[in-house]
Amino acid sequence: MESIRGKTAIVGIGEVPTGIYPERSFVEQAVAVSEMAILDAGISKDEIDTVIPVLAVANPIDNANMVCSWMVEEMGLGGSCKANFVCGSGGSSSSNSLKAAMGLICAGLSRAVLVVHSDRLGTGLDMGAAIAQFAVVSMSQEYEIPFGFSQLALAGFLQQRYMYDTGTTERQIASVVETLRKWAALNPNAMLRDLRTADDVLASKVISSPVRKRMMNKLADGASAFIVTSAERARELTDRPAYILGVGSRCTNFTATEGQGDFYKTWTPAADDAFAMAGIGREDIDVAELYDAFPTFILISMELVGLCGKGEAGRFFEEGHAAPGGRLPVTTNGGMMAQGHTGAGGGVAVLVEAARQVMGKAGERQVADVKYALDTASGGIGMDFHVGILGNEV
Amino acid sequence: MEEYTLPLPLITTLSKVFWDGCRENKLLYQHCRDCGRVIFFPKHLCPGCMGHNLEWLESKGKGAIDTFTVTYEGAPPAFMGVTPYCVAIIRMDEGYRMMSNIVDCDFDALACEMPVEVVFAQVTEEITLPKFRPAGG
Ligand SMILES: [Zn+2]
Repeated sequence: MESIRGKTAIVGIGEVPTGIYPERSFVEQAVAVSEMAILDAGISKDEIDTVIPVLAVANPIDNANMVCSWMVEEMGLGGSCKANFVCGSGGSSSSNSLKAAMGLICAGLSRAVLVVHSDRLGTGLDMGAAIAQFAVVSMSQEYEIPFGFSQLALAGFLQQRYMYDTGTTERQIASVVETLRKWAALNPNAMLRDLRTADDVLASKVISSPVRKRMMNKLADGASAFIVTSAERARELTDRPAYILGVGSRCTNFTATEGQGDFYKTWTPAADDAFAMAGIGREDIDVAELYDAFPTFILISMELVGLCGKGEAGRFFEEGHAAPGGRLPVTTNGGMMAQGHTGAGGGVAVLVEAARQVMGKAGERQVADVKYALDTASGGIGMDFHVGILGNEV
Repeated sequence: MEEYTLPLPLITTLSKVFWDGCRENKLLYQHCRDCGRVIFFPKHLCPGCMGHNLEWLESKGKGAIDTFTVTYEGAPPAFMGVTPYCVAIIRMDEGYRMMSNIVDCDFDALACEMPVEVVFAQVTEEITLPKFRPAGG
């Protein structure tokens, strides 16, 4: 089978600031980012013949409407659009919708695909309802929920075992938060833009051991979108598209109990697939947009993807190599820890940031001379793992 | 019996065997007679070979803490009133993993790989939950 390396590209991105915006409706956000992505791409909206809305966590009715072509109508694509279907795999919806877009384009079934995410985790549900909903997603009602399991407990599980296995210190984990806040300070769309030091993080109380209060992400409202088209069309539109060079993934489990201990082993073959397809090595990556939710996730994925050795990611962060000016900038939008957690949108946001860096549109936080960017995504409670590699030339 | 207000397992025809076992203070898991796979959570098909030749065996109830967390805040709403509590993943000697609470222990003394053993906590007429405590405790 002929490789689809470099046959498609991201040519336009859109994003609204993440935060608490009670007056900003679900569809207002979705329309805003779709418009931005279309203008950024410089295409006619009528070229978009597939729309893939990403499933929102906090808005079940809006989700159902998105399936029923709400965005097609809002954007006036009624004459040209051929397909509209929701992608719902939690935090990995970004990578899965990207792969769907690649396939449709390479098969000649689509010219341009709009992927759009909007969610209102900050204000769409009252906080009690949001917590209650997160308390049961991707969990067994029989064998986990009766014991008081939660997403937060998962973060505790991962950090506890990761520290035990690698000797990574709490201060090193806290330095991930410090790093992400430094990036967020340079990101006008980020929610938490004030700096936090590792000391600040370590001074906060333990919430679910060993996770501390300032190691937690913040639920927020937000939206982002991107447009995928063929490499040929991309070259007509811009001299700096974000070519999709490699993708790899593994889907392993539904629950933490069955996944724990095993699921992360598959992050390495997922990355191997992406690098093999892209035809480049780990040392070629200029910027890594690693899906976070909690600081330990970044450290674990950084090691398993192969961007640093086993047990070395904590020191890498502590020494500042992942921060602005560092030798391998990591999660330059601030991630869910600092840009804000918009459900599945956290994954879309890091993918959009990877494209933004490759396209040279990252403003104050632009990493110099980005040729290759890597992004990761994971859904549910570590149910899958995805790696993508974008580049500015084929 | 004091009224129990925390979430109870949602019992299905498949899991009924497991929960009936717990009520008799037996910890059951499935085993595939065809490929030998040890299975938990209970399944309809063997996820190894897709066979239907599954049997229930009784666990010795011993294992080690794979990982754990003590939740002080941010618990699911129903558990707000019972913090702090320890939830853990236990790697059973038979080779499967299960989630439970570690009880009758000093939370500060818990560690990954600590040996634990099952204790049964009857919470309603119907339901007995398998919990764990440090082994030999
Ligand atoms: Zn079998």
